[in-house]
Amino acid sequence: MTEDYSLNYTDTDIDLMQSLKAPGKGYWFLLVFLLLLIAAGAAAWGVQIAEGIGVAGKNNPVGWAMYITTFVFWVGIAHSGTLISAILFLFRVKWRAAVYRSAEAVTIFGLATAGLFPFIHLGRVWVAHWILPVPNFGGLWPNFRSPLAWDVLAITTYLTASTLFFTLGMMPDVAIVRDKTRGWRKKVYGLLAMGWQGSDNQWRHYTAAYVFLAALSTPLVISVHSIVSWDFAMSIVPGWHSTIFAPYFVAGAIHSGLAMVVLLLIPMRKAFKLEKYITGHHLESLAKFIIFTALVVGFAYSIELFVSWYSGNPFERAIFIYRMTGDYAWAFWLLITTNVLVPMLLWSRKIRTSIPWLVGICISVEIGMWLERFVIIVTSLAHDYLPYAWGIYKPTLVDSLIVIGSFAWFFFLFMVFSKTLPVVSMWEVKEQINPPTKSGR
Amino acid sequence: MMPTPGQPYRMGIFAHLDTLLAALRRLPADGFREIEVYSPTPHHEIAHLLERKPSPVRVFTLVGGLTGLATGWVMTIGSTLLFPIVVGGKPIVSIPPFGVVAYITTILFGTIATFIGFLVNARVPQIKVVDGYDERLSSDHFGVLVYSAPERIIELERLLTTLGAVTITKSQGL
Repeated sequence: MTEDYSLNYTDTDIDLMQSLKAPGKGYWFLLVFLLLLIAAGAAAWGVQIAEGIGVAGKNNPVGWAMYITTFVFWVGIAHSGTLISAILFLFRVKWRAAVYRSAEAVTIFGLATAGLFPFIHLGRVWVAHWILPVPNFGGLWPNFRSPLAWDVLAITTYLTASTLFFTLGMMPDVAIVRDKTRGWRKKVYGLLAMGWQGSDNQWRHYTAAYVFLAALSTPLVISVHSIVSWDFAMSIVPGWHSTIFAPYFVAGAIHSGLAMVVLLLIPMRKAFKLEKYITGHHLESLAKFIIFTALVVGFAYSIELFVSWYSGNPFERAIFIYRMTGDYAWAFWLLITTNVLVPMLLWSRKIRTSIPWLVGICISVEIGMWLERFVIIVTSLAHDYLPYAWGIYKPTLVDSLIVIGSFAWFFFLFMVFSKTLPVVSMWEVKEQINPPTKSGR
Repeated sequence: MMPTPGQPYRMGIFAHLDTLLAALRRLPADGFREIEVYSPTPHHEIAHLLERKPSPVRVFTLVGGLTGLATGWVMTIGSTLLFPIVVGGKPIVSIPPFGVVAYITTILFGTIATFIGFLVNARVPQIKVVDGYDERLSSDHFGVLVYSAPERIIELERLLTTLGAVTITKSQGL
């Protein structure tokens, strides 16, 4: 970005505040459409609460199905944000400045969506507080040896750290909006800016806090999805009990998260005319990253198959044969195709610099990553040790509507964010361009 | 040296970074050493000239992280000892799984303490901005707030103008 000498501090503010202008009809239409889908999902949840969890199609032996699949999917989506905002910051990657704000929003909204599913999955949502690390009336605490208890703590910590990092990064930008608006907007943004003035003293503490929050968030990129993977790997269910699950899940999470960031950046830069800031170079860099994560995910799939064969364990071998040839074989082969084979098209520069191709490939990755979790969860439960206990799971209208509603909820949150807060970090873009000087150098 | 409460100041607004840096070199030489700089984005050159001490936010991070680490161990070990039930044949005090919890609480407390450290040291939230704050300062201008003895205020205003300030704003009352 420093090579673009046409950018300056004044134009940067004007350009990047375009997104805060009053929305058009298309925006409102889409927002209402998303609200209707959310209402449908909420109604389906209401039916489930009234009728019982059986209406979600879950029964022995498949007790974890679409809800946990979608929970893991959304936690995975959340991972790109911290990767881009924290890790790329620590490595001083310059192209991060223009895209990290949206990626962080993806993290927070991804977690806000994922966080709904444990409650939905519980069935008896009114006793959700039992999972909190406080003793119940009998003095009994949650079982801290259980990965489910770690998971609650990990997701809560991730959401807290991401929200604080997002809030901190936003403060100087909200102050810019405060200083450039009038009337009620000035008052609202003034409150959000918390009296930020950009004094050297404030910047000194700000930059220190920013580095430490980035450093503390970085291990979370690895640990949160590792802990989510241990929800499965700590059990003895065939197809789950594997030491490669943690890195395998982390790679998949970053794979889907990057694809989601690309899918949101492309329409956003078009709608808000941000092509000068979110350039083809940014999208191409993300596309290259997706090639890398696709290769890691593909490697994990092949190692998983190898381990099941090499272990000599008949149950492990059986579950992988079932995955490839059984009731859900269509999903298995589709996920291999969409997650690994289709992203290989990005090796072609012509394809990775083509917006329609990039959108298509990223949608393919999202479908593949959702299916990956579905296959891992459902096939292992449907077909474990004892043949007389085998069974299959079929989605119902209730759980399908809730899953669709969750997607609507995520995009709704992102759309509201894109019209109320700066979608590109103005102060960090300014760090990348030449400051105003009298000498012009 | 810290300014005394109610001490008058003038804020020079500069349109260019190089003129601001030149002013920052000149002002202490002329006896104006109590200076604060306002800028749209942090600049190493400004930090270098002002020679401020490292931020104490790191102490908050360390204390928060250590508190989180201790909390994680105390919560897991203490809660299982309060109600000792053997689960899955594992020891009552199971170090590896409790280490996972302690790791998470270290990060949780560390991040919260870092944010609190920032708020305390940067003195935010503030209800209002400093008198003389100019709305261009968050966008594309730079400000130097210089404290002065009342008898040198006129001299300071002249000096700021000479150094290239495009606007000079005042502290309330003086």
